[in-house]
This record gives sequence, C-alpha cells and structure tokens, in this order.
Amino acid sequence: MRCVHLFDLDAVNPLGDAPFRTFLAGGIAAGDRLLALFAERCGPGRFLVHAALGGSFPGKYSHGCVEVSPKSFPTLTDVCPGAHWFEREIYDMFGILPQGHPELNPLRFHEGWEKRFFPMRGDGSPSPEPRRGYRFLQVRGEGIHEIAVGPVHAGIIEPGHFRFSCAGETIQNLEIQLGYQHKGTESLFTGAPGMRQLLLSESISGDTAVGHSNACARLLEQVLGTPAEHAAEKWRSVALEVERIANHCGDLGGLSTDIGYLFGASHFSRLRGTALNLLMRLTGNRFGRGLNRIGGIGPRVPGIGAEDLLTELARLGSEVEEAGSVLLEAPSVVARMEGTGRLLAATAKTLQIVGVVGRASGRDIDARRDFPSPCFEEHPPRVVVAAEGDVLARARIRYEEMRSSFRWLSKVLSSPFAGTSSPHAGPASGPGRRTLAVSVEEGWRGEIVHAAIVEGNGHIVRYKIADPSFHNWPGLSFAVQKNVVSDFPLCNKSFNLSYSGADL
Amino acid sequence: MFESIVGRKRKGKATVSLPFGNLPEPFRGMPVIDPDFFYGETAETCARICETQAIDPKAQTLDLGRCIFCGLCEEACGARGIRFSPDPHMPYGKREHLVIGDTTPESPIADRTLRSLLGRSLHLREVSAGGCNGCDLEAQALGNPVFDLQRFGIDFVASPRHADGLLVTGPVSRNMKEALIKTYEAVAEPRIVIATGACAISGGIFRGSYAVEDGVGSVLPVDVYIPGCPPHPLTLLSALLGFFARYPGKIPPSFPTPRT
Repeated sequence: MRCVHLFDLDAVNPLGDAPFRTFLAGGIAAGDRLLALFAERCGPGRFLVHAALGGSFPGKYSHGCVEVSPKSFPTLTDVCPGAHWFEREIYDMFGILPQGHPELNPLRFHEGWEKRFFPMRGDGSPSPEPRRGYRFLQVRGEGIHEIAVGPVHAGIIEPGHFRFSCAGETIQNLEIQLGYQHKGTESLFTGAPGMRQLLLSESISGDTAVGHSNACARLLEQVLGTPAEHAAEKWRSVALEVERIANHCGDLGGLSTDIGYLFGASHFSRLRGTALNLLMRLTGNRFGRGLNRIGGIGPRVPGIGAEDLLTELARLGSEVEEAGSVLLEAPSVVARMEGTGRLLAATAKTLQIVGVVGRASGRDIDARRDFPSPCFEEHPPRVVVAAEGDVLARARIRYEEMRSSFRWLSKVLSSPFAGTSSPHAGPASGPGRRTLAVSVEEGWRGEIVHAAIVEGNGHIVRYKIADPSFHNWPGLSFAVQKNVVSDFPLCNKSFNLSYSGADL
Repeated sequence: MFESIVGRKRKGKATVSLPFGNLPEPFRGMPVIDPDFFYGETAETCARICETQAIDPKAQTLDLGRCIFCGLCEEACGARGIRFSPDPHMPYGKREHLVIGDTTPESPIADRTLRSLLGRSLHLREVSAGGCNGCDLEAQALGNPVFDLQRFGIDFVASPRHADGLLVTGPVSRNMKEALIKTYEAVAEPRIVIATGACAISGGIFRGSYAVEDGVGSVLPVDVYIPGCPPHPLTLLSALLGFFARYPGKIPPSFPTPRT
C-alpha cells in the first residue's frame, strides 16, 4: 500500500547536522516535498529531529533523523523554507531552539502560559531558557498604520489573530498569530494504538473527519498488521470524495458570500448540505464520523447502497455543474476574483504549499496520485492544476475538482466491491521493532500526513499530524500583500484553512 | 443574471418545517436505552469501550454531555443496551438534564421574563473556543436556506455588543479563555450562554488535556447545554426553539404557534 510506509528505526542511524541538512536540501531539490518535520524525546534529555520527505514519484518516501542537543540545533529553514513553521512548533513543544531561525515567534503558547512550559520536553533535560514573547513585525514609514483583527471574528469561524500593516488601504504585511485552538491534540495520541486515536483523528479538523481518520486508520492498521480489505478501502475513498465535494461547495458558497453574490451563496450552501447529507447516509454523521474502524469500516457503513448513492450523486452533480458554471461565468464574479490574492508559483514552491492552493499556483501535487491508497491505485484521479494563483484560480480548481470527483465516483461506484468491509477479528500485534509509520491522504484541503513512532512494545510514543493548513497558512500572508484590506476576507476564504488542524 | 433567476425559480422552497421527524438511517441521533442496559453486565460492557467515560455503570446512566456519538457502545452490546436512534431531538438544559437512564429528565423552558425579552428576537454571538470547527460549521449551517434560522427571529451577529447571548463551541482552550470572558463581558444583560457540543459541555474527546478547560461551565455560567458531536443543525434548532417555548410540543397553551 503506497499511502502508508513503515521505516524500521532500529536499523537507522541518526545523521550528523551537516548530512541531515544535505538530506533535506537534496530531497527538496530532487522534487520531493517535506511531509513532516518533528522532534521526538527518545530518552531523558535526548532528542531526535525526524524529517519525512517524498512524492517525487508515486510511493516515494524517505526519512532522515538527527540527534539534537536539548538546548538548540542549527535551523533548517535556510535550506528548506517550508520547515519554517515546523521549527517554531519544535521550539514551542520541546524548548529546543532552532538556532538562526528567521522568525522564532511562539506558535502555540500565548502570554499567560508558564514561560518554561514545554509540554513534550519531559524530565531529565537541563532547564530550558524561558520562552520568548511574541514580537510582531513592525512596518515603518509615512502613513503606515496597523489593523488588528481577532481572535474572535465577525462570522461563525474559528479564532485567530491577524495583524495588518497598511499604507492607506493597501496591505504591506500580514502577520498571522495562531494557537488559539491549541488543545494538546498530539499528546493525546500517545499510548497503545486503538479506537482512541481514531476518534481523536475525527476531531483534528471537524470538516476533514474523513481525510484525517482515513490517514489515521491506515497508519494504525499498518502498525498492527490488520490492513482493511478492498471493499472497506473503496468506501473510505468514496467518503473522501463526497467530503471533498461538500467542502468545495461550501467554499464556493463562502466565496460568493464574500463578494455579495447571493445566488452562489444560497445555492452552494444548500448543495454543501446535500453532500453532507450523503455523507450522513453513508456513515451516520454529516461529517463522516464513524466511517472508520481499525481494519475496516463501521458496522453501520455504508448506510446507502452504491446504486442509490450513484443516483443521488448524479442529481447533485448536475446541480453543482449548473450553479458552478453560472457562478464562474458571471462577469461581475470574474472581475472581482481575477488577479486578487495572487500567490506566485515560485512562492508556493518555496513554502511547500500543498493542496488546492498549491495546485492553483502551479504545484502539480496530489497525494491521491503521489501516495495512492488502494482505490486510487486502481482508479487514478485527474489532477487539476492552474498557473494563475489568484482567487479565481482557486475557485476554478475547486469547481473542476468537484467535476472530476463526480466522474471518479460514478466510475468507482459502478465497479464491483471485492471482499468484506467489516474489521478483522482476532488479535493484532505490533511491529515488534521501533518503527516510524507515515500515512498520507489527500483531504479536500490538501495533503494530510500522519506520522507515528511506535516502540517495540507497540506503544505510540510520538504522534505527529501535519494538516495541509499548517503548510499553507504562511502562504496567505504572501497572497494578500499589495491587495486592499477589504479583499482580505475573499483571499482568506479562497485559502479556507483550518485553525484547529494547524493549532492541534 | 437571467440564468441565476431561472435557477432560483426552478429550485423552489428548500426550507424544513416544524416539527421535523427522524433523519434517514444510519444517522446516530438520540440514544435509546433498552431494558437490557439495567441487567447483567451490559452497562459495564458499554462503559468499558467508551473513550469519553460517558457511561456510568454504577448509576446506569448515559451522560449526553460527554457522549461523542461514536457508536462503539452500541456495537459492543450488540444494540441491546444502548442504540442510537435517527431522532435529532435531544435533551438540553442544565448538566443534569443531559444525563439519561431509566428516565429522561424533561428539558427546561426559559422563565417568563427571559421569554418575553428574548423569545421572539434573539441575537447570538458565536464564539469558537478551541473546538475542531465541527460545531461551528453546524451553527453556520443554521443560516442556510434549509434551516433558515432567521425566520424565527434568531440570528448570529458580528459584535457581542449587538448580542443577547453567546453560543460557545469547543472545550475552551487555555489560549481562548481570556477572549471568551472578554466577549461575555461585552454582552449587555440580561444575557444567556449556550454551550454546544460535547467539548463545550465536558471537554469531549479532549477532556484532561493540559491545554483545555474541559468545557464552558468552568469559565462562564451556562444557561443551556446542547449535546452532540457535533449537534445536527436540527438538534440545535429544536433546543433553541424549545428553550424559548417555540417548538411545537414545547409550547405552553397560551402561546401562538410559530409560522414555519
């Protein structure tokens, strides 16, 4: 299965600082992308930093690790700018300083936390330096003013703080301060692998319950040696595409709301509901919770047969097609979206931007093709890429991806389902050796990466989640530069990133 | 322009009417406790598999404020103790109204003063305080043409200064505690606090984490808890209307029935 990979850590020697840098820089230069960079406490006062790369060809994974001192390690952001936020996270969770990092602001912890509190540092390390406070970048010049927004926003959305530095109406710099949704999610994943992790994975980002739980389920199954059968895998991928359709509809509705285009707003918010209701018919929950069990899918899944689902999808598909073409051909809509919030292809590549946003800026990456799960191996997806990188491109990518998903679903649902979908009975066993498991799934926002370090006794000692939002938030700051402040909501909606998934 | 008008005309009305019935299977809504739950090992079997300690095998109760509706207990007991019905109506109210066992407590109605002040015009400020966004999305969905919350005179507003109360989601992350309290203080009295979803009620699946407050109740006085993970928009709607005595079946005889 090319969507999950196990590395035998007992057979791996940590690299030195210089070879680790070369490994990272070389991998990126060869077309791999940074799946995750994270630290691990492997004993009292002993820490490793792991990097997982891959994707330059289908099923390509590579791993490297370096032992770092409890105090600091040389930053990797200079050779791989996409590591920028990962290093801030390492600092926040472990208290290990990435030496030379260009912007080491806390990512997770605000004022009010104990300044020496680093939740994953554990005992046995020398006392860390107190955490530095958050320093906003000051833009200076005549007429420059700041606008602070959030954490509580005007709409019904998650909390985050945005600080704009503007000259008149034009945004010169946007600083994004997150962490408000931090709930210690990764720490809750440690321990014996079981349903607990799977239920948690459904709550990493509520709108991506299927994407995250698919990634988590496959990871746990590989670790326990109980992979799901073909039929179960097929329903997982079907649910994934229905989730994609629901959320892309929601985004097109949200974009319509932000430009005051009521036709699009009301139609797409209703169509999103229709798609969510299909997910509910499949899984018993509008967000697809309860889809997965370890080794298969839930006993109530699928609550709707392939044929009925096909009929419903055909109806939904034609409505989406109709509403989407009206929306994206309306001159007032095109005029408003075209050229707005442009994220240049070079920036997207440098920052390792993934998913819809990446593909709208020329990044030809899609985990369904690059790390295919069994069903996508059998029925390859169509990857839609655009070059413009503006709001319009991101809207068009969503529309085209939905159309592809409808076609893909009609093909897959008309083909036979082999094997059983119910979970395996019988005892599951761990890998017996220290293992790093990496699991990748293309959620509707983009690439979801779950990585777990499992000890020989089968216990998970470190669980790392990389939601696509984590890669993409820095991109938003670049996309809004030189745009007017009033276009920020539109730009933000066109990214539509998860706060919970980034803050964990 | 013309296409959009034609599109609207062709679609017709999409809004649901009151009262609504069950949702299609296999929706996991209001749990039904069967007599078997009270005999033998059934309650223990259900409690053992529950990851949020929603089931108390001694008291033989199920706390909907902790339940994340995952369905594992139903699977463990073969649906003989607990089974999830497709009914979106759930108990709401104070904490004790959410604990069900051999009897289900009746959900409360707001007192006369609150009903006369807010019953026909309720403006809420939504605060997402550390959740996964699931509850927020369902609260947002209340505004779409299907649920159309505004027809009842209820709406979400941008500023707490314009609001009669808060609808809070999430376990209250430590990073959101201060912002939540400030938002609450900005709402004029009389104000109500509604806590929505397992996280906001008890911390849900995140209970016990170093970074959360295990629910809104430990930070603010809560008037109404609404269970679910996340609550279906119809669950939210029936609780909001029920609390203000505006849901059919919850309406005292002297009240006019709302038009839907």
